Amino acid sequence: MTYSIIARCPRTGRFGVGSTTFSMACGRRNESVRPNVGISKSQAYYLRHIDPLALNMLAQGHTPQHIARVLAADDPDFDYRQFGIIDRYDNVVAHSGPGCNQWAGHIVGPNYAAYGNGLAGPQTVEGIVRGFLAAPDAPLEDRLMMALEGGRDAGGQMSAGRKRPERSAWIRVTGARDLPEIDVRVDLHDRTVAELRRILEAFKRRREYYESRCTRPGDSVPEEEFEAALAKD
Amino acid sequence: MTYAIVARCPITGHFGIAVASYSIAIGRHCDGALRAHTGVALTLGNPNPRNNYLAINLLAQGCTAAQALDQLLSNDPDSEYRQVAIVDRDAAIAHSGAKLRPWSGHRDGAGYCVFGDMLAGKAVLDALAEGYEREPQAGLDERLVQALAAGRDAGGLTGGSGRLPERSAALIVWGSRPYNEIDLRVDLHEDAIADLKRIYVDYKPSIAYYEERAKSPRNAVPAMEFVEKLAAGREAR
Repeated sequence: MTYSIIARCPRTGRFGVGSTTFSMACGRRNESVRPNVGISKSQAYYLRHIDPLALNMLAQGHTPQHIARVLAADDPDFDYRQFGIIDRYDNVVAHSGPGCNQWAGHIVGPNYAAYGNGLAGPQTVEGIVRGFLAAPDAPLEDRLMMALEGGRDAGGQMSAGRKRPERSAWIRVTGARDLPEIDVRVDLHDRTVAELRRILEAFKRRREYYESRCTRPGDSVPEEEFEAALAKD
Repeated sequence: MTYAIVARCPITGHFGIAVASYSIAIGRHCDGALRAHTGVALTLGNPNPRNNYLAINLLAQGCTAAQALDQLLSNDPDSEYRQVAIVDRDAAIAHSGAKLRPWSGHRDGAGYCVFGDMLAGKAVLDALAEGYEREPQAGLDERLVQALAAGRDAGGLTGGSGRLPERSAALIVWGSRPYNEIDLRVDLHEDAIADLKRIYVDYKPSIAYYEERAKSPRNAVPAMEFVEKLAAGREAR
């Protein structure tokens, strides 16, 4: 039970992933995003070493389509895996093995892949895409957030005929630098997607201040003063 | 406005970080700070966003922790605003810049460093170290969580107008693989350390389950069933 979107912003070239699931702490999978290389995000019965392998192959120059064939040839349980891979050229591939918990599937677009397993139905993935496409000019992190909300609002996860809660969620966006520009997480919560929205909004309001504190520490105001001014807004 | 411990487990050789901050989503700043068989190198205070990656690369090239630290400082015109701690397979070393807000400082022990800025006082560092040392036979993750709680209980963070809450926290452990073994976060909460502990206690028993399930998906117990069993076990206790 998981649904995700991986994307490359066509305007800025930034890469981003948004993911939410029943399992805890899905954002620990930070090996799945590599700045200036791409994203490989596996799920369902995922093997942890697959994403670093796929990213190493991307960095060597292989296409996502070729990598998917290599992964398929090398894995007796390929039918149980689900993943999406995107590169800097907007090559995108997704795989949803028939052994994944149902409903499972994916939609691949020009610079994104939306996919999930243990879902209410194809409407969840359609909801992710609808959310992602709702504001094409918005920053990538906002589009990823709307995508997760779209998936949740379209029915989210379901197994054995019962609705299953999202308990963890994650958005990570990388630009030209090593340090991710956005990396917000909810590791265990009963209203996870709403909590992720709250944290993302709180982070966006502080992002510029945190950046200036790192790069021009001599000019930076004390953090309590910054927070007091934020609270007044 | 942050305190942390970086450590190498003397039993397993795993490297780890526990950190708590008044700033939100402090776990983001731990990115790149760990590498298997190499070390942990974390920059806080007013963190230089390049430092973690550079320091780990230097250690991997063969620099000692002290040489890596020297290079970080001479590479950075604002090094007096930074706080850096490095633990590799042989040594533990730290730097606290003169321009950090008080009380700030660090303390190194055998295979670990504790450090922080805007602390209630030196007692916070001592408590972090004592919390970590309390159960030397325990797992690295448990020891790191204990350290954070002890730091908080010794007064934690202070600003111009008194106690500041820990609003975010993270616990990260790397073993022998090219990705984390444990990576838990609280990004915005009024008692981030308590929430981190809540998540840690729930998370820990599921690690083996998720690994096993990926290795033999044909025989996997459904996730719901596993979670329900776990909950029943807790009730029974």
